[in-house]
Amino acid sequence: MKSAHVRRIAAGAVLAAGVLVLGTLEVRAQAGGMPAGTPPAMVKTYESLADAILAVKTTEANLVRAILGAGYAHAQGELDRARKAIKASDTKGAQAALEALASAVGQLGTEGDNAVGAVRKRLLEGGHHHNAAGEAKGIYDEGFVVVTRVAKQAFLDSSKAIGLLARAPKGDALENEWKKVEATWASMMKGGA
Amino acid sequence: MSLTRRGGLIRPGAALACLALCACVHTGPAAPPTSPPKPETGRFHFVDVAAGAGITRVTWAGRPGKDHLLDSAGTGAAFLDYDRDGRLDIYVVNGWRLEAPDGPAPEKTRVIERGRNALYRGMADGTFRDVTDAAGVAGEGLWGSGVAVADYDADGWPDLLVTGLGPNVLYRNKGNGTFENVAPRLGIEAPGWNTGAAFLDAEGDGDLDLYVASYIVVTMDEVLSARPTLDWKGLEKVAFGPFGLTGAPDHYFRSEGGRRFVDATAEAGLLDKGRAFGFAARAADFDDDGDLDLYVANDSDPNYLYRNEGDGTFKEVGVWSGCALDANGAAQASMGVAVGDATGDGVLDLVTTNFSEDFSTFYRGLGGGSFEDASEETGVGPATFQPMSWGTAFADFDNDGDLDLVVANGHIYPQIDRHPEVLGTFRQRTLLLENRAGRFVDVTAQAGPGFQELESSRGLAVGDYDNDGDVDILITHLDAPPSLLRNESRGEGSWLEVACEVPGGTAIPTGATVTVTAGGRTQRRDIASGDSYMSSHDPRPHFGLGDASAAQTIDVRWPDGSHTVRHDEAARRLVTIRKGS
Repeated sequence: MKSAHVRRIAAGAVLAAGVLVLGTLEVRAQAGGMPAGTPPAMVKTYESLADAILAVKTTEANLVRAILGAGYAHAQGELDRARKAIKASDTKGAQAALEALASAVGQLGTEGDNAVGAVRKRLLEGGHHHNAAGEAKGIYDEGFVVVTRVAKQAFLDSSKAIGLLARAPKGDALENEWKKVEATWASMMKGGA
Repeated sequence: MSLTRRGGLIRPGAALACLALCACVHTGPAAPPTSPPKPETGRFHFVDVAAGAGITRVTWAGRPGKDHLLDSAGTGAAFLDYDRDGRLDIYVVNGWRLEAPDGPAPEKTRVIERGRNALYRGMADGTFRDVTDAAGVAGEGLWGSGVAVADYDADGWPDLLVTGLGPNVLYRNKGNGTFENVAPRLGIEAPGWNTGAAFLDAEGDGDLDLYVASYIVVTMDEVLSARPTLDWKGLEKVAFGPFGLTGAPDHYFRSEGGRRFVDATAEAGLLDKGRAFGFAARAADFDDDGDLDLYVANDSDPNYLYRNEGDGTFKEVGVWSGCALDANGAAQASMGVAVGDATGDGVLDLVTTNFSEDFSTFYRGLGGGSFEDASEETGVGPATFQPMSWGTAFADFDNDGDLDLVVANGHIYPQIDRHPEVLGTFRQRTLLLENRAGRFVDVTAQAGPGFQELESSRGLAVGDYDNDGDVDILITHLDAPPSLLRNESRGEGSWLEVACEVPGGTAIPTGATVTVTAGGRTQRRDIASGDSYMSSHDPRPHFGLGDASAAQTIDVRWPDGSHTVRHDEAARRLVTIRKGS
């Protein structure tokens, strides 16, 4: 739903820009010749387009943060489920919850699941790099918007550790691993990791 | 099959160099391959006997300049015993031969030859006879990619699934030396560019289901009109993609008694949500829970591990189980896959082969379906970093009781031959890595003349074609006949091969596991349909036994979960174990 909303915003912006450009061309035609500089109407149109482009980029960041937020919330839910199951000595329930938690934490590392990855791939194919400068500095993997390489590695390590825990669920080990996830999450959302 | 993120980003610029070189970009490799080093003597000795044995048909691969990724993807091959005479036969998939146009676009590429697949019947004297026409398995004019061998209808005769650009072809073995294409009737054509395929009984109902990986969405028109437009290190224009191309979704067909197949991709939880560039599929019981899971090697995307939930549905667990990405969390350009217990701990390990300047990854099995990237410590990573790697297999080539690793190599851009100092040549040696107590050591240079050949290799299958107790290697190449590397190693180790038969049932019990205990060591092999890079291995598990003169036990776990156990079987022979005996 959100993705469709963003697409609609972008399409709307481009459509508006197109209408403005056409209007500008009409103005120029009425003036009876090509002006010396770039016609102000065109500059204005371009400015509007720039606003739209930058807004879309911000929207992209917000959307990815929302995706990650939903993922984190899901992970917290699975964590609660795992805690309860471990406390109740429900090994099977704990295993299922821990696997789901491992998967959720892994998806934090990969900045979304495979379906999100497919969208990211499409954007890269179109030449869109949200964090081009950060990628060049080695801070971000290609196409990643929020999750830094450091955070990615930390989430993936925790994901695997939690996955292994599923084979022999232990409350204290889970708490230790979750503290790492929390710390990585907090640091990343503050822009530190 | 791309300039990966890890393999170096595409460098803009170098326009002058590019201009100077573009004029000859369609002419194919200009620099002759460097002379191979003089083979050294060692315990391994492989000789290419393909030509003398009659394996001579060239496998075509598009244009000389490899203008489209299909040109450079190559084809798979299989060992099978289609006529059940006890001797392995060979099936080789073929592509098309194209001629690049002299003029600019839109002048179209000319199709010079639609390569025909080849079925070679193994003869008693160790040679092969081309029986393609008599058998009727030339490939239906399709630009072929892969092959998977299975007895899909359990009638006792091995059948052939052939993938490629176009509809899948399923050659049903009629048991009289001829085949018929039943794919349209069974509903598994799924036109597209399909690649690696694997048959597996996902539901445990006795029927073989089918998973088919798919690479990109593409038409033959697009292939024929392709031109090299991707900048390679600022030096050359090479084939475009796969970034910028659309990944094609994989397919899963559930068998209904072998009489028809139903597309159950979504229902089974196997939707290719990432639209990944799929190349290889391998089924195995990775978590040892008694059902078959599925591993899919994807190019430039995370690999998938679909865990069978026990009811024929799957859950994708690749990332957290540790085999989707490398140790750095990066998706690699995976082409082929090898599966086996290489560490001897009873747990299946995995190897994926990857792009040049990126290592092949050794995923050590930790048990329960979890893995860790042990490429560095096992030596597989450093040994495979430079070449571009494809078909691969674990096998005990020196019969010393552990699994060695063979990796077929070859670049996708012939243009790199004009800059051999950058990253070697288009044609590359196949690598042989010897397992020395869990550390894989590159013994290629000492492995005999067969391993000194320079080709751009792709498909690879292993099997004991001459029934002499050691494992031979079949390799396909681009625009060349295949190699058949006969194993003439001087190892003194004993061996055992196990043929598993189901009386009145399937010719190949796909999914069976054979465990042999001998000389204080327990080894495990599984029987798979679809492996390596779009290829299929000898379905008779081979075990090197070292000094042991007999196996204390041979335990066959059949696909239905039942076991047949034999005790005190003498070594150095093929043992046939029949279900229920």
